[in-house]
Amino acid sequence: MPAEPRTVPPALGPSPSGPADRPGTGVARASERGGRIVAVTIAAAWHVAIGLPAVLGGWPDLAAPVVVAAGWLVTAGVGALTAGRLLTGRRVPVRRLSVLLLAVDVTVFAAVGPDRLFTAANWVWSTLGWFFVLVCWGRRVTGLVVLLGAHSTIALGALFGHGATDPADLARYAMYGYGTASLPVAVFFGSAAITSLARQRAEAAATAHAATAQREAAERARRDRRGRLALVADDAGAVLAELAAGRADPTDPRVQRRCALAAARLRRLIAESDDVPDPLLHELRAAADLAERHGIRIDLATVGVPPALPVRIRRRLAEPLTTALVDARGWARLTVVCGPDEVVVGLVTPDHGGPTHGVPEATGPPDPGPDDDHVTHLDERDGTIRWTQTRWRSR
Amino acid sequence: MDADPVAEPVTGARPVGVAIVDDHPVVIDGVRAWLATEPRLTVLATGDDPDEVLREAPEADVVLLDLRLHGRMMIDKLAELSAAGRRVVVYSEHSDPATMLAVLDAGAVAFLAKHEGREHCVATVLAAASDRPYVSPTLAGAMVGDPRPDRPALSDKEREALLLWFQSMSKASVARRMQISEHTVKQYVDRARIKYTRAGRPAATKAALLARAIEDGLVRPEEIGNYRSYAAYDRPTP
Repeated sequence: MPAEPRTVPPALGPSPSGPADRPGTGVARASERGGRIVAVTIAAAWHVAIGLPAVLGGWPDLAAPVVVAAGWLVTAGVGALTAGRLLTGRRVPVRRLSVLLLAVDVTVFAAVGPDRLFTAANWVWSTLGWFFVLVCWGRRVTGLVVLLGAHSTIALGALFGHGATDPADLARYAMYGYGTASLPVAVFFGSAAITSLARQRAEAAATAHAATAQREAAERARRDRRGRLALVADDAGAVLAELAAGRADPTDPRVQRRCALAAARLRRLIAESDDVPDPLLHELRAAADLAERHGIRIDLATVGVPPALPVRIRRRLAEPLTTALVDARGWARLTVVCGPDEVVVGLVTPDHGGPTHGVPEATGPPDPGPDDDHVTHLDERDGTIRWTQTRWRSR
Repeated sequence: MDADPVAEPVTGARPVGVAIVDDHPVVIDGVRAWLATEPRLTVLATGDDPDEVLREAPEADVVLLDLRLHGRMMIDKLAELSAAGRRVVVYSEHSDPATMLAVLDAGAVAFLAKHEGREHCVATVLAAASDRPYVSPTLAGAMVGDPRPDRPALSDKEREALLLWFQSMSKASVARRMQISEHTVKQYVDRARIKYTRAGRPAATKAALLARAIEDGLVRPEEIGNYRSYAAYDRPTP
């Protein structure tokens, strides 16, 4: 038995426990499992429904019927073991089982005797191919072809050994060889092709679905933004109109405050350049909008695009800030700096010395070390500003 | 919000001449009003065409340039002026990080976001006139989040100073946070900015910034050859 290449595509390998990293992997896996069940069923049915009655029926004419029956039992054992492994997704010991099956092949061919060579009682000839399929499942087709080649060679050896070398015998041999090899190879190939097709279709569907979802999200974000722009523009327009008509006094602090609020809101809208809002930025913007409704002038500055983060980490990054925003008075500066392996969210507000919502008083430096999520949280006051910062680092 | 006054008078008795290029008269008037509060600055010419403004005031020390004039981005004009040794301070409402970094690459001495206010504007123009760096908080954010693979290698302290400056807009607060002096905070920030003189195409203004940084002891000549090596130097210069 030649060395078997063990390069198995992840979804076709004996272990389905790997991460579902590509879209379509699940579909391919389901389809491939169907193939395994079919192969196991064919081998079992053939062995029990065709092989066994033939052995029992031809028992008196066999040269060494006990050996033939023992071979049948060994093969049934190999089949049961392989089927168990295939259906539970564990690795099949290809090389050892192949050697065992070939040994059974040689023994049974020798034990049936010359008279029963071309009868159903020589069950290995027609049945063993299906067990080769089982043993080689999920591997390259080369292994199966090599085993079927060995099977044919053993049969030819038996023909010569038993002296069955008439042209008629050789013609029957060729017919048997073709008949017993073509079906297993066809099933083996067919199953691989169906799995590959299923994967491609599933991947294409997943890609199309993702594109649709992206488009819908972008559309939703655009509508959302237009709605907010209309709202902000109304505010800004109203104050500008009052200024132009002389109804509002630019030196009036209340008018100045309205202008500052409207300008900050417009600036934030202009700064939103992402087509599909990142969940972290979305959360922070929502908190900023809320705080603004309470009359706080918010400056939100973001640099970079946040990497995809687990919900837990995202929540731990955003929550301390949104909590601190509740306490803010006057103004607040919210900043987000993102790189592929680092996200830092900062909130600076005037330190009014008031109560805090569940945040410890001025922890101050040094930084508490990062935890399992690699998130640090810092909340400190220096009399002038209150500074809340959360930071995630990938390492 | 504090802005750093430049320590020494810039050009002795003569005030710094400033040219303002903007296509919105209201902005020109606003900036002129800001600069008028600083006796060391005088506005020499204003207009919406950089060439005309500089023909009118060729002796201008600093050009305040709106990045978008009549709907066109002026990056090429900026590069041309910088190559000719004009100290250009770009101010713009386009404060997305990529634009700011492109402006630095093109040779602008400094970048100001239009909403950054009077103190930053005055401090930036004064620093620019003496070929010294001035990094506004908005620009600090762009530098610390620079995603380009060939970005200058900043040391951890420089990155932290830029980040905290971007977050808080107060060097005093950054100093307390980092437990260093305000002077050292400014050095970290300025050194990071000087490393950016090596990015993008060469320009006379970049050479001038670098030369002044060496003269001031902000960076050492041996740090200049290759800014990859800068990261090794984390100690602020005296």
